[in-house]
Amino acid sequence: MLIKRTHQHSDRRGSVAESLAGQAGGLDRRSFLRKSGLAGGALAALGTMPLGSVRKAEAAQAGPLTAGATVRKSICTHCSVGCTVTAEVLNGVWIGQEPSWDSPINRGSHCAKGASVRELVHSERRLRYPMKLVGGQWTRVSWETAINEIGDKLQAVREKSGPDSVYWLGSAKMTNEGAYLFRKLGAFWGTNNTDHQARICHSTTVTGVANTWGYGAMTNSYNDIRNAKTQVVLGGNPAEAHPVSLQHLLEGKELQKANFVVIDPRLTRTAAHATEYVRMRPGTDIPILYGMMWHILQNGWEDKEFIRQRVYGFDDIKKEVEKWPPEEVERVTGIPGEQLKRVAKMFATEKPATLIWAMGQTQKTVGTANVRASCILLLMTGNVGGAGMGANIFRGHDNVQGATDVGLDIVTLPFYYGLAEGAWKHWSRVWEVDYDFLKSRFDSKQIMETPGIPLTRWFEAVTLPKDQVAQKDNVKAVFVQGHASNSITRIPESLNGLKALELLVIADPHPTTWASLAVEAGRKDGVYILPVATQFECKGSRVASNRSLQWGEQIVKPIFESKDDLEVIYLMAKKLGFADQMFKKIKVENNLPEAEDVLREMNRGSWSTGYCGQSPERLKAHMKNQAKFDMLSMRAPKDDPEVGGDYYGLPWPCWGAPEVKHPGTPLLYNTNLHVMDGGGTFRPRFGIEREEKLPDGTTRKVSLLADGSYSLGSGIQDGYPEFTLASLKKLGWDTELTEAEMAVINKVNPATPDAVSWALDLSGGIQRVALAHGCVPYGNGKARMNAFGLPDPIPVHREPIYTPRVDLVAKYPTLPDAKQFRMPNIGFSVQKAAVERGIAKQFPLILSSGRLVEYEGGGEETRTNPWLAELQQDMFIEINPADAAERGVKDGGWVWVTGAENNSRAKMKALVTERVGKGVAWMPFHFGGWLGGKDLRGNYPKGTDPIVLGESANTITTYGYDPATNMQETKVTLCQIAAA
Amino acid sequence: MARMKFLCDADRCIECNACVTACKNEHEVPWGINRRRVVTINDGKPGERSISMACMHCTDAPCAAVCPVNCFYTTADAVVLHSKDLCIGCGYCFYACPFGAPQYPKVGNFGSRGKMDKCTYCAGGPEADGSKEEYEKYGANRLAEGKLPLCAEMCSTKSLLAGDGEIIAQIYKERVMKRGYGSGAWGWKTAYRETIES
Amino acid sequence: MASFGRFIRLALGAWALLVLVTVAPASAQQVNPTASAVKEQQLLQELNRVQGRVSIPDQRSGVLEQPQGREWRDFRNVTLPWIGGIAILGMIAGIVIFYLTVGMVRLEAGRSGRTIVRFNAFERFVHWLTATCFIVLAISGLNITFGRPLLLPLMGLEAFSEWSQWGKYAHNYLSFPFTLGVVLIFLMWIGGNIPNKVDVEWAKRGGGMIGHDHPPAYRFNGGQKMIYWIVVIGGGLVAASGYALMFPFYGTGIQGMQMAQIVHSIVAVLFVAAMIGHIYIGTIGMEGAFEAMGSGEVDVNWAREHHSLWLDEQKARTGPNDGQPQPATAAAE
Repeated sequence: MLIKRTHQHSDRRGSVAESLAGQAGGLDRRSFLRKSGLAGGALAALGTMPLGSVRKAEAAQAGPLTAGATVRKSICTHCSVGCTVTAEVLNGVWIGQEPSWDSPINRGSHCAKGASVRELVHSERRLRYPMKLVGGQWTRVSWETAINEIGDKLQAVREKSGPDSVYWLGSAKMTNEGAYLFRKLGAFWGTNNTDHQARICHSTTVTGVANTWGYGAMTNSYNDIRNAKTQVVLGGNPAEAHPVSLQHLLEGKELQKANFVVIDPRLTRTAAHATEYVRMRPGTDIPILYGMMWHILQNGWEDKEFIRQRVYGFDDIKKEVEKWPPEEVERVTGIPGEQLKRVAKMFATEKPATLIWAMGQTQKTVGTANVRASCILLLMTGNVGGAGMGANIFRGHDNVQGATDVGLDIVTLPFYYGLAEGAWKHWSRVWEVDYDFLKSRFDSKQIMETPGIPLTRWFEAVTLPKDQVAQKDNVKAVFVQGHASNSITRIPESLNGLKALELLVIADPHPTTWASLAVEAGRKDGVYILPVATQFECKGSRVASNRSLQWGEQIVKPIFESKDDLEVIYLMAKKLGFADQMFKKIKVENNLPEAEDVLREMNRGSWSTGYCGQSPERLKAHMKNQAKFDMLSMRAPKDDPEVGGDYYGLPWPCWGAPEVKHPGTPLLYNTNLHVMDGGGTFRPRFGIEREEKLPDGTTRKVSLLADGSYSLGSGIQDGYPEFTLASLKKLGWDTELTEAEMAVINKVNPATPDAVSWALDLSGGIQRVALAHGCVPYGNGKARMNAFGLPDPIPVHREPIYTPRVDLVAKYPTLPDAKQFRMPNIGFSVQKAAVERGIAKQFPLILSSGRLVEYEGGGEETRTNPWLAELQQDMFIEINPADAAERGVKDGGWVWVTGAENNSRAKMKALVTERVGKGVAWMPFHFGGWLGGKDLRGNYPKGTDPIVLGESANTITTYGYDPATNMQETKVTLCQIAAA
Repeated sequence: MARMKFLCDADRCIECNACVTACKNEHEVPWGINRRRVVTINDGKPGERSISMACMHCTDAPCAAVCPVNCFYTTADAVVLHSKDLCIGCGYCFYACPFGAPQYPKVGNFGSRGKMDKCTYCAGGPEADGSKEEYEKYGANRLAEGKLPLCAEMCSTKSLLAGDGEIIAQIYKERVMKRGYGSGAWGWKTAYRETIES
Repeated sequence: MASFGRFIRLALGAWALLVLVTVAPASAQQVNPTASAVKEQQLLQELNRVQGRVSIPDQRSGVLEQPQGREWRDFRNVTLPWIGGIAILGMIAGIVIFYLTVGMVRLEAGRSGRTIVRFNAFERFVHWLTATCFIVLAISGLNITFGRPLLLPLMGLEAFSEWSQWGKYAHNYLSFPFTLGVVLIFLMWIGGNIPNKVDVEWAKRGGGMIGHDHPPAYRFNGGQKMIYWIVVIGGGLVAASGYALMFPFYGTGIQGMQMAQIVHSIVAVLFVAAMIGHIYIGTIGMEGAFEAMGSGEVDVNWAREHHSLWLDEQKARTGPNDGQPQPATAAAE
């Protein structure tokens, strides 16, 4: 909306005479200088310019400093919005950033982080060369030495304790290609202990949402929120975490005159712009959602037809909702019934309505159940599968969606194929390696098919007694490439893990708190730091939260001795002896795998998720033609030769081979569109029918397929299961498969080709034929309100492990102790002990944590950037004025925060504000480099310490893991605050 | 002739500080100098509003009026600039400025002011447009390249508007009309002696 | 071309928005989220400033708007030049008229040839230290207020800036010895400068400026006491306000600094005016007066005419042996 200056130079100069004649204040530059007599400095600055010369010509010769610069585009690495970064590069130096007007996502905009990414590359505090800890001193080593020593040590650990004793911790910062190769590295090494930030970010969303309707991702897009008439944010603060998204939210709110409701324990910067703010007690999302549903059902506001056609398990939910009348909801959440009724009415009747969430729902012991309840509310009101609706799940990192999709995870191979034998066989076909070879890399076939250890538990996997860790041996070595350690809860206990490790490898642009805490833990050796390039020095694809893939160019070459993620992975594979197998189908030059070729390999294997159509060529064409995409629909005009009809970034699922030219799916499960225009249905992923037990003891079979609902132009006008060769045959469509396609299908499963499904067919033929008939390859099913198979198939409110409302624990206890992900989860015992020991009296304040706009994640990168660091120089805790007064705490004064476990304590500044309610305190989670009041600056290798250090919020956070994903609990625990 | 102004739509500003770091990035502004800043009113209370503020390039600029050495000048685009060669760092412009725009690097041992630095509306200074000297003293000159200040161009929510005063006022008016509310163009009365009806 | 393309996009965007708006049903209720938001005018009416929170450590930058800057501007550009102009020019005019009508105050008895020590070396050093600093401070200070209209057109921007820059350095650095001088003057001469009955008599008789009257006085007469207190109080004020300006934001905010500047400049111009009078009386205004700070010894007749009581004191202390050097401690009595 900016207006360019239309007048050129000559115009400005045209007024010289006028201004000379006028007031002294109105001179143009040249006459101004002339008046000054041109003595001293000004003369020198002007050089030999004669007085009265034609300045315009001079200026043209001098030109702007950016003249001759090349423009390269990449993607901002600081959140999931996917802002394009436009860089000007001159002589290999990144000299400036320009607004990316053409991007339909950010339209020129950035937040504080995006507007300062150039400094990340520049930074003088980045790691310059590999280092290792020798006798407690950081010592420079060569890459060759580092890789050799690391490789030898890993092999030694493998021989002694097995492959599962090495933990491979990857990153959501990596490109798809990097994350994919990192997962593949884990597979070839022989372990499923490969994880990344999604575990502590949206693992509960992915699990909960996928278990509801098929895929665990944002259903719509940031841009599409402009269509909503009601926006409800529950568990998110996008104004700080996803600032550029607010452009769409606020403009949408203004243009649609939409309701903009924020339900949050804090009056966040997002809430400041809300039409209605609802203050809640942290950790009560499910009662709120059920409370809304109670009003909806009470008043008949539910979308009955939608429920009949597309939803399974409604009756089960109704029963649960009945337990949440307004009085009980208010008792548990603190929200008055009338207010919640108003919000419920808006949500159900002023449609389309969308529900927006982020970490506020996910980082809980009930994270999966929270997001499930959110999905259920959307389903109940028919707010899924159309413009302006849906679960707009704001993910955290720039490529956390992509890294999740490519399977950098403990529970699945790439693209959600799982870990069963069929999945391994699928990928061995794609990789063209022997399945038995892969199997031989693991300790056993059983462990090969068992989910790995979540990163939230890594230190317990090191320190727990061996018999409690369900693998051959404890974790002995951690190889972390791009993950902060201060993002993980229970830091005091992680120090024991750091100390006990035999080997710690930190591959990152910055040393991170892994390094400073490892030294603090008393380590004198066995730690390596490898300098890895930032993503601006690498090329490849990234997936924004809306599932759009964007190709980022390499802006500058890796600086100092930094290496591309891909090269580091290749070097490790080479050293560990399986590079030839792992990179069999990928071009490698000078140890650097070619990103395009890696993406092509992904395209060949990712049928299940529809990553098959996004060839590097198509993605590059999208970046080149950004300006052609409509901002609201994100679609390019159909007649465009390069990107005609495509949705921006080919949001997955983008079905079929690239040649099919599927445009991508901007809105999931949208039956109003033909599947070739991005339409879709709910995915029948959990069988086609279910046997239900009736109260009288009998059973009945209930279909899980859609009832009379189908996507526009569907060849089958009802629910249908996923496509296989057998189902094509049944429909008589198998004849449309080409000979070449049939040949591939027969090769995939020579014994029973009929069983080859849309997801396993490497030819893409089955998908092609299904699409040709307007059918969605995965089928057309019902979304599940009852997600049988999950620990809580019907979401149930459970009090946080450490809750101030001990009176509610008996009625709403957490789930019983259990063994999950090779580890014990003793949440129930911890909760019980906390109640019995009266922890809530000792630590009466609820402690929550969250994001600041200036920093991201563990924050080492952003706290090293002076342009950002200047804006937030101290770790702080927000405390309500009433709580502060009781404790004699002054705004800006130092306080000690003590936590409920480990005698943890942290020193920080107090921010006394009504932003938080009474009884609630809040900390940002980006700080690190202090521990228990001690400054650890000296622990960093010289010159690499971030500018701003501070206590980590996770020093205070406590036990608590979601049973379905082992997500950590960062949003609700207890603490006490005292003036320091 | 264009009359350049800034307008911060407080109903859109979310204190994301993009304007602040964009400015730092474009001009390599050193630590401690904040040509632009975001101030939040009623922080943490209902009705909280943030406003991004820098030099407003006032009509009849007070800084220029009080400068003892007359180092300010107004360009034909009505951008208020100054010459660091002439500035003596006396601090008078800071006392007069209604918006706290002038910034002074600390020089010497007792916090004495160096040459004043402030927002240039991305229009450089008296040196030749786009010259190295201009860049080193004042930062980039985007206006000479036909571009507007980067802070506004990169604003996350299109809250901060820059451009010809009449055009941005028109944009703001339309916004207010469409959405039905607006808290006014902050600082306009003080800087330009005019308001936008909302 | 690029800007044209952008214009097209803008136009398209605007059109799309328009379509959206018109399509949107009018029934949608709109809560005005600004209703609870604070308005600029409201804040300005309450406090005449708008203040909020900033995350950077410089909390003073939380002042968003301070329209009183305009009032300060008015003071600096209009009020102060008037005050200064009237005070200084008025003083000069007064002196000129006085000199032309009355002329130099002569020693009625002529010079005796005998001298008495009035100010010892230390006293004179302190006086001249302060005086020199004062003159430089005054010129460099006046330059800030009057230089732009008076000198700049003559010197040109570059030269004037250079001169003013040096003036600023001089002003900043000489403030320290000047302050020291003021402090020493205060301590050194406080003893003789407590107003008493003699001063009332002295004042009643107009200090003997007109005619041939010689009201009695101790070491410092009423006029000198006035100068002393102007130096001590005025010097104290300019020093304090000056340091507040020199160390921005140490203990002051923007308003504090504006106040400090107002105090500093008003006191300074009055101070300058007073000192012009002091200089006059110490030089061409009175015969024999300059010697007091020149050589430190004054003619006994001068002492008798202007400081009769002081002369008596001195005589009583040292006997009739006029002209003998006095111990330096006398100054501190």
